[in-house]
Amino acid sequence: MSEPFFSQLKCRECGALYPKKAIHVCEYDFGPLEADYDYGKIRAAISRGKIQSRPLTMWRYRELLPIDGEPTVGLKVGFTPLVKADRLAEALGVSELYVKNDAVNYPTLSFKDRVVAVALSRARELGFKIVACASTGNLANSVAANAAAAGLESYVLIPYDLERSKVLNSLVYGTRVIGIEGAYDQVNRLCSEIAGKHGWGFVNVNLRPYYAEGSKTMGFEIIEQLGWEIPAHTVIPMASGSLLTKINKAYREAVKVGLVSESKFGIYGAQAAGCNPIAAAQKAGTDLIRPVPKPDTIAKSLAIGTPADGYYAVNVMRNTGGAAEDATDSEIIDAIKLLAETEGIFTETAGGVTLACAQKLIVSGKIPRDERIVICITGNGLKTAEALDGHLPPPARIKPSLREFDALIAK
Amino acid sequence: MAKFKGRYWLNFSGPKATDPLIYLMSKKFDVIFNIRQATISGEMGLMGVEFEAEREELKAAIAWLEEHGVTVEPVEINTIEG
Repeated sequence: MSEPFFSQLKCRECGALYPKKAIHVCEYDFGPLEADYDYGKIRAAISRGKIQSRPLTMWRYRELLPIDGEPTVGLKVGFTPLVKADRLAEALGVSELYVKNDAVNYPTLSFKDRVVAVALSRARELGFKIVACASTGNLANSVAANAAAAGLESYVLIPYDLERSKVLNSLVYGTRVIGIEGAYDQVNRLCSEIAGKHGWGFVNVNLRPYYAEGSKTMGFEIIEQLGWEIPAHTVIPMASGSLLTKINKAYREAVKVGLVSESKFGIYGAQAAGCNPIAAAQKAGTDLIRPVPKPDTIAKSLAIGTPADGYYAVNVMRNTGGAAEDATDSEIIDAIKLLAETEGIFTETAGGVTLACAQKLIVSGKIPRDERIVICITGNGLKTAEALDGHLPPPARIKPSLREFDALIAK
Repeated sequence: MAKFKGRYWLNFSGPKATDPLIYLMSKKFDVIFNIRQATISGEMGLMGVEFEAEREELKAAIAWLEEHGVTVEPVEINTIEG
């Protein structure tokens, strides 16, 4: 790309401008830094036709992503199916429902491949040779896989007592996995110190402004796959709240650069009842987030007790006329089964949270039954299969006898 | 002993949320505080603050704040993701 569409970093609180470096916090007020673009230039440079002529990946929207040149990591990521979910719509009693299915994102079966593709492409532009993250699951898998494919050295930091099955999904890619003994905040502090001292590219620390922007591509794809329309209602899982704010940003940017006409849309957030700081704040009508010191839910990928973007997520929901909900563990399990049985999509626990909350929002009338709804499914059920232990009937068992088989299916 | 600078989000809630905890902390511990941002609503408050102190003194001050119901998070929160 010869045109510099991505111009600078900007503080979300005070608007102070910063150069496009590996920094993520405003020096004045500690506000998060966010990528800022020259929308006039982008508007003149892109069109629906130009986007549609490009390969079916998230990089179709590259003018709206924070890299200077061509992407170099995760070139096949994105453009996951938007499934018209008629059987699920019938079960929920709504007229038009879609599932955005990032459970089949490439290469590691979660939406994290989007953010990692942008973070690592930018890391290369900034000259990082080593990339890293601290994660208990999807993010670690994605950093390990995408770094391996790009020939970047990578480190994954994890709590030392993480289950072996989760560690395997990162180890297999040849990444260096380091278990850290300590509480959550101690690990946080160590990561920021490592990023500063060793000059590594930490995807969700010093590369965070770039990383977070990758989530927007989920929003752009939804718009394009709906025939260039913004859905009336979008239900999104919330951990830090970043994905929700970025899908909102994508919808607004698509209007700003002339890809869609303006229309009213509502953004809805979903959390687990066992870790619901953002949903609780939204329901209480405040934007101050009360931390959850000890999250207790099977939806571990959403269990962030002190969500960095919680304040912004509450404001997006408020400003768009949306709302938040939370779901118990048993509601999450039921929703995972419902999605699988009606649409053939096996989602991880976070997807169960999203569907369960969508159901509650529909039943309570906060989402009307006769308007277009999109549910964002962000990860694959094979990653959290243990959550279903004891919740599915065992397979029937018979002798190798036709009589026994006939007797069984006659029941 | 070299001084250490750290940036934190402090979350005040519960019965002591309206106490002058930062003032009391600075009387009790040798910590320089520099408030960068603050919001309060009802009985809950959020403050962005830079602390400068000798490491052990800062650790003790943070532990004291936590004993008084303040959640102390480094500004670089959520580095561990799912």
